[in-house]
Amino acid sequence: MKKSKLLMGDEALAFAACDAGLKAFYGYPGTPSTEIFESGEKYIEQLNDGRVAEWAANEKVAYEFALGTSYAGYRTVVTMKHVGLNVALDAFVNSAITGVQGGLVVAVADDPSMHSSQNEQDTRILADFAHIPLLEPSTPQEVYDFTLQAFDLSEKLKLPVVIRLVTRLAHSRGEVYTQEKSLSPTSIGIPGEEEKNNWVLIPSIARGRYRELREKLPAIIETASHYNTKIIDGKSKTGVLMAGMGRAYFEQYVSDNKIDPKKYNLLSIGAYPVDIKLLKKFVASCDVIYVFEEDYPYLEDMIIPYCDGKCTVHGRRDGTLNIDGELNVAAVRAVLENKKIEGKVDDDLFAKISDLIGIRPPKLCEGCGHSDAYEAITTALKNIGVEDARIFGDIGCYTLGVQPPHNAINTCVEMGASLPMAFGAAMAGMSPSVGVIGDSTFLHSGMPTLLSAAKSNLNLNLIIMDNAIVGMTGQQIPVAADIAPTLAKAAGFAEDQVHVFIPLPKKTKDNIEKLEKIFKENKPSLIVFKRKCIQAMRRKLYTKMEKAAV
Amino acid sequence: MQNDKTFGLVVAGVGGQGAITIAQLVLGAAWMNGLHVLQSEVHGMSQRGGEVSAHILISKNKVTSPTIEKGTGDLLIGLEPLEALRHMVYLKKEAHIITSSSPIINMDSYPEIDKVKRLLSTINGVEMINTDALSKEMRFPQGGTIALLGAASVFLPMGDDIWEKVLSERFKNKGEKVIEKNLRAFMTGKELVKQ
Ligand code: SF4
Repeated sequence: MKKSKLLMGDEALAFAACDAGLKAFYGYPGTPSTEIFESGEKYIEQLNDGRVAEWAANEKVAYEFALGTSYAGYRTVVTMKHVGLNVALDAFVNSAITGVQGGLVVAVADDPSMHSSQNEQDTRILADFAHIPLLEPSTPQEVYDFTLQAFDLSEKLKLPVVIRLVTRLAHSRGEVYTQEKSLSPTSIGIPGEEEKNNWVLIPSIARGRYRELREKLPAIIETASHYNTKIIDGKSKTGVLMAGMGRAYFEQYVSDNKIDPKKYNLLSIGAYPVDIKLLKKFVASCDVIYVFEEDYPYLEDMIIPYCDGKCTVHGRRDGTLNIDGELNVAAVRAVLENKKIEGKVDDDLFAKISDLIGIRPPKLCEGCGHSDAYEAITTALKNIGVEDARIFGDIGCYTLGVQPPHNAINTCVEMGASLPMAFGAAMAGMSPSVGVIGDSTFLHSGMPTLLSAAKSNLNLNLIIMDNAIVGMTGQQIPVAADIAPTLAKAAGFAEDQVHVFIPLPKKTKDNIEKLEKIFKENKPSLIVFKRKCIQAMRRKLYTKMEKAAV
Repeated sequence: MQNDKTFGLVVAGVGGQGAITIAQLVLGAAWMNGLHVLQSEVHGMSQRGGEVSAHILISKNKVTSPTIEKGTGDLLIGLEPLEALRHMVYLKKEAHIITSSSPIINMDSYPEIDKVKRLLSTINGVEMINTDALSKEMRFPQGGTIALLGAASVFLPMGDDIWEKVLSERFKNKGEKVIEKNLRAFMTGKELVKQ
């Protein structure tokens, strides 16, 4: 008998991984992927049979942790959000050339509509680019099933396998039937004598490995084809090509409206790379095709060249659907029928509601130290006569410093960009140049700029908002705490170039005076604003950390 | 559940109010009733007081969409009156709305609360509950929110008998007294609608 539970997509992935005999979870927090690791960590504690979960300093390192565990012959998962895969891309692409030993599943959560991201890039394209197979589930149950299977596929193909989630699946809770038992982690052994050199990508070996990867593509496509099916081979000439959540919304639309699915000629995609022959056959059997897929018009772009005037394609390219943003049942309906749903809110009521509701933007928590730090920084710059000050910002709770009343930061590009951009601006003559970064983002990718800064004689001010926690994603414990001043000194910063301030209201006046002096000096400085996160304190995480340290 | 139509519930509130807890209680109740369920939530950076909402779809048939199509939802639980208005677009004509009338004013352009209440009272199917007053009366900070759930339960497609079990299970770690308080708050809300 199978057991059923209510699980989020993220949780279903973690449970399946453990049930498949996973040894280790690695990752870097990022919405909406964070709960994969977090629920995995909890499940591991419960299973208590020698498994581990470890956050890394960034996604590249996390990926390499996973690759090492795979080398040791064990099954492993590395988790990240879509933009995290950019950070891990070097390792990701080359791990297709080395291949893997123990099953390696890359769990990536895309964020169409950018609920909490800077872009809506589509992981299917990066998987394609790296020749790495990707599975795309559409319900929590499929997340569970596909993840279980992904480990077998990974070991069979000797390649990493990506599970692509999107926000609506990662954060959706539904019924999931799970295996009765969790396999305990066992190693299939390290790479043997014949495979030993596969992992050494010097050109002479890499050339051969790359050719082998290319030659493996038919086998990869064959494996993926089990997830890609023509559901109804009816007589309809109206095609629907759907994948992932696109399929979920289409199926809901059909079932809620009692539509006979035979009305359509359906092709459902659950895995990539997709067999071109299958797409060609599908196109040849349709007069018109509607495409429902999340994020980029990826499948759509694949079929358009084969239509050749005989078949029209409606999707994101021809404007039938928006080019950006996530799908939903309403979008499917709007494409497939003309009927408008008349709900409770008519145009008149809509206008009245719109008039009132305004926006309720997220804010820094009442009393958060970031707020006091920003006040000190912006006031100090104003006091020394910097007009229209520009401050380079980064990714974390403190990004909210862009909003009133702070109006403090002027950039947020990607993880770790603040300090190097401040450096570049200082090189170009901006003085003082100021970059603001959180402690975890500093460890993620801000750190290397310390080394360049130490050697310079620029008026460059590297500011760390240090609360010893990854605040924004729900307060994870970072890989290290309190090391920035020591690192800076080791890199060549003198004692008087390193400052630690406490961002409390009663200290603001004092902090402003000190900053004014620092901002006038033509030398680099490291300024740490050190105060605990209120939410993490409420959850007693610091006490937990201290206990763990003893 | 009477018919085989999908039932859509929207829960809307502000970060920290317990919208997700309410959603999960309903989800659990429907699931225990043997129904198919799917719930999605949006809570970007909610610990800092932004809007939070959850959609729950309940059906005798398989549910695959985690979100409710605009204009088709059956019920809205508003933990905050302005948020109730914000999510009204998801509802069908005959839908019911159980909403708190106690505002959370943590935004710059919060309108006069009387205007909000006035607009709400012109909409069919709206039941407003002064949750702040209820919580105070019950000396139980979450009481108002649980009362909303009690009131909403009248319109949910699950059996009446499931709630005691759901609430007891959810709060079992917090002890008998807390369970007791929750059950009482739930009943108080339910009575308000039945009257
Ligand atoms: S979660 Fe922590 S760091 Fe983020 S705004 Fe709140 S107190 Fe500040």
